[in-house]
Amino acid sequence: MSGPDPEILEVFYEEAGERLERMEETLLALESGHASADAVDSLFRDAHSIKGSAGMVGVEEAQAIAHTIEDALEEPREKGVFPPELADPLLRATDALRRVVAGDDGAVEAPEAPAKPAERRTMRMSAEKVDRLLDAVGETVLHSRRLGHALEQDRSDGADGERVEEELGHGERLLDELQESVIQMRTLPLSSISGPLPRAVRDLAIAHDKEAELDISGADTQLDRVILDGISETINHLLRNAVAHGIERPEERARAGKPATGRIDLRAGQRGGLVAIEVVDDGRGVAPELVQQAGADGSLADVLAEAGFSTAEEVTDVSGRGVGLDAVKAHVESLRGQLEVHSERGRGTTVTMLLPLTLALLRVLLIERGGQTFGLGLASIQEVVTVTDTMSLGGRQAIEVRGRSVPLADLSQVLEADSQKLPEAPHGVIVAFSGRRVGIVCDRLVGEQEVVVKSLGPLLANVPGYVGAAIMGDGTLALILDPAFLVRKLTRRAGAALVPEAKRSAKVLVVDDQFTVRELQRSILEAAGYSVETARNGREALNKVKADPEVGLVVTDVDMPEMTGLELLAEIREEPRGFSLPVVVVTGRGGEEDRQRGVEAGADAYIVKEEFDQRALLETVGRLLTG
Amino acid sequence: MTALHVVARVGGEQYGVPVEDVLEVADAGEIVPVPGSGPALLGVRNLRGQVLPVVDLAAVLGLPRTATPGRVVVVADGGRAAGLGVDSVKGVEPLPEGGEEADSPHLTAAAVVDSALIGLVNVTSVLDAAGGAHAP
Repeated sequence: MSGPDPEILEVFYEEAGERLERMEETLLALESGHASADAVDSLFRDAHSIKGSAGMVGVEEAQAIAHTIEDALEEPREKGVFPPELADPLLRATDALRRVVAGDDGAVEAPEAPAKPAERRTMRMSAEKVDRLLDAVGETVLHSRRLGHALEQDRSDGADGERVEEELGHGERLLDELQESVIQMRTLPLSSISGPLPRAVRDLAIAHDKEAELDISGADTQLDRVILDGISETINHLLRNAVAHGIERPEERARAGKPATGRIDLRAGQRGGLVAIEVVDDGRGVAPELVQQAGADGSLADVLAEAGFSTAEEVTDVSGRGVGLDAVKAHVESLRGQLEVHSERGRGTTVTMLLPLTLALLRVLLIERGGQTFGLGLASIQEVVTVTDTMSLGGRQAIEVRGRSVPLADLSQVLEADSQKLPEAPHGVIVAFSGRRVGIVCDRLVGEQEVVVKSLGPLLANVPGYVGAAIMGDGTLALILDPAFLVRKLTRRAGAALVPEAKRSAKVLVVDDQFTVRELQRSILEAAGYSVETARNGREALNKVKADPEVGLVVTDVDMPEMTGLELLAEIREEPRGFSLPVVVVTGRGGEEDRQRGVEAGADAYIVKEEFDQRALLETVGRLLTG
Repeated sequence: MTALHVVARVGGEQYGVPVEDVLEVADAGEIVPVPGSGPALLGVRNLRGQVLPVVDLAAVLGLPRTATPGRVVVVADGGRAAGLGVDSVKGVEPLPEGGEEADSPHLTAAAVVDSALIGLVNVTSVLDAAGGAHAP
């Protein structure tokens, strides 16, 4: 039997996915009583369309579910009243439908059907953007002809190339336009990932016996596709934190004189040359001690991220936002962004991610040290000073900048390159990152330039200090420095939690009931320099976590005797210090449900057992342990 | 069995790189050092708009480096591309495979041609050595 054309199926899946998203949105609105007058009709139309197209492409299961939804809507449509308690069963029906159209069910797709849509790297593009690019390309082609013509005329006139020069100037503007169009094509609106979030918040709130509503504004804000891919998980994490640790239970909210339903806002918008994405909750806020510490010590984001790794007992009981915030911070910084946190006790917490508009272009200051040119993003440079008087503090150099002492070091030493003598009164570039400042000393300043940043590739992926390289006018490469690295390297204090080297001494606890799996993971982790403890089940693991404060990360299987991985995860999160202990869950393929439950219980990462490989494990562990 | 190899001179010795691993042979270009990347990497260079890491083949094979490389043999291994810095390239030659046993983990075998010994380079292992100089 020949199945439906895979391309038509693909269109059906995509269209049904969009309709399902809208249906969920509408159902949530109906449930909370905020729906528009035609909400029920719109629901019915979507269900009806899915039913129709499912019938056409022969996905009978989807057809049947859509039909059931239609039936359930019959009465509300007639009476013009939607009972809120009908929302939940209908949401579950949309879930079932989604499973079918996402091809998770297996029964739907023929074995030779194409890979799941999610695994393909395609993007939808507005026709407008493509047209703009086409216009620019057309102009460039014409320009090249005009240039040839001008050259001929100049030659026959014996002229001095005035026309050609004029055309060259024109060509530069065209190329700028071309570049801009292509960069625009790399952007997508936040709404392309925010669709499922209101539903996720609702479900999370229910799981925590809380009431919470998510309001999204600025969903049309455009972001670089790579950044968008990267922050989707991070936004989820922040929302999870807001529900689990920020928003109080209804009775507690009532005592505080707040409405029973907690409010979470996800706001996006342009702020200067950056995009700001904020997660705001009206929950209990961060403990005042931490806010105070932040006042003295830089930023609240830093304090919370570090608190996550300190073993200090006092920070653990606090209604925290520190859960996994170190991972969030590292992630945002890897996208050249910055993380800010503001909080007021009893009033709520605001977490702001400041992200670049694009990862493709960067305005840099080019500096020279030891005959080599380096670039440093202008956004992270506060000012440039001439280094004349330096102070020495505890064996370290510092310079006074506007009345405050700023740690200072020679770029060669920071990068551990061969150092050459610095000139008299060299330049110091004051780099600011996450509320901290450092001075980087170089031989001379070369100038400012907008560059295309290219990745150094997989072979150099483990070398710290660079965000990439850029091609200079003469065709050579300049390394682009990572401001986060510079600031960290110069401001690290003894035992500070932000230092990757310190992390490598962290102990990893491997939990699995199978000896071979345990030993395999142990050998991989030990070879990479971690010290490893093992446990045979959740109970044993929990005892080790309680007894050994050096355990810095847990990698756990799910199905185990005595206590399962998910039970272990829940127990750890109840522990005072477990609040910030990263937990990696190793699930079997198709363990979607485990995964979902893991997400709710606060797992930090997943590894699929059947896809287990050394690199995935080390990358995940490395990412979670390096702040 | 013979197989085609790009034969290059490195530190006074000869080495063959299997042609199926080779994308092209280029001049050394301007190699920019990457501080912190370890002794096995000479740096990065621009190859037609791509950032290409250049591996110090002599250092990986434990040979003394006599001069800066004259050529790079551009190789690909899965998703990884890199240039192997060599002194010069002799040409493409069919070399017997599975001949003499080689004494380096980065060689698959050694071939004897005109009473000269040519080491057959294991590209995966060389790139692992260059990129694995750091714990993740």
